[in-house]
Amino acid sequence: MFERFTKEARVAVIEAQDWAIEQQVAEIDVPHLLLALLGASDTAAVRLLVESGLSIDLVVEELNAIRRRGGLSDADAEALEQLGIDLERVVERVEQAHGEYALADRAEGSRRGRFAGRQHRPFTHGAKRVLEHSLREAQDLGDKDIGTEHILLAVVTQPGPTADMLATYGIDHVTLRRALTRRRAS
Amino acid sequence: MTEATDLAARAGDRDPRVGLRAVAALCRLLEQLEAVQVRSARTHGWSWQEIADELGVSRQAVHKKHGRR
Repeated sequence: MFERFTKEARVAVIEAQDWAIEQQVAEIDVPHLLLALLGASDTAAVRLLVESGLSIDLVVEELNAIRRRGGLSDADAEALEQLGIDLERVVERVEQAHGEYALADRAEGSRRGRFAGRQHRPFTHGAKRVLEHSLREAQDLGDKDIGTEHILLAVVTQPGPTADMLATYGIDHVTLRRALTRRRAS
Repeated sequence: MTEATDLAARAGDRDPRVGLRAVAALCRLLEQLEAVQVRSARTHGWSWQEIADELGVSRQAVHKKHGRR
């Protein structure tokens, strides 16, 4: 499948690994793909994200907050609220007893320690699904090659904290597809 | 609570999407909490058997899940 990736898309996949190394985690996860897409030079995907008010710093901050809550998004926190569970309070209590970021260690793609070096990292199940799905996104748009915008479309369709976070910035499959179609028409 | 917000809260309660998401979120939170508590118990010198007994699972299960981390 990788032979169908554009040069920018390949670079983004490689940079996703650099983000996983940078954050000292054992696996390349969906957030790392998003960060790599944002870090790519002026590509279609980056333009869409920047226009929505996102930046690398902001995404790092948002994802850090999610990691601290054990990989749970704002939408997850709201759902728990319906059950009478105050997630922030749970996190606070656990951190009081076990230290800062106590809940962060076991989230998918955040296992630390054993992969301290720069060796190759595997993709999480979610990240693999995103890359596989990007092919479908390209096909749906009638594109021959898989570009960064197709990976981004696949990121927002993969249920999880990253898609939840993007949705709070108004970025979902519908808005992305609309923006892409508009751009291509003009 | 006003009648309107009360109704809204009840409607939210019946939305399967919200209910299912809460369950999924709770599962993930539970996994994290378990990891934190097991790690803490190990730091306090508890054996895998003691931890397993408290959790109500087999020693093998708890060791397979949390060992070598």
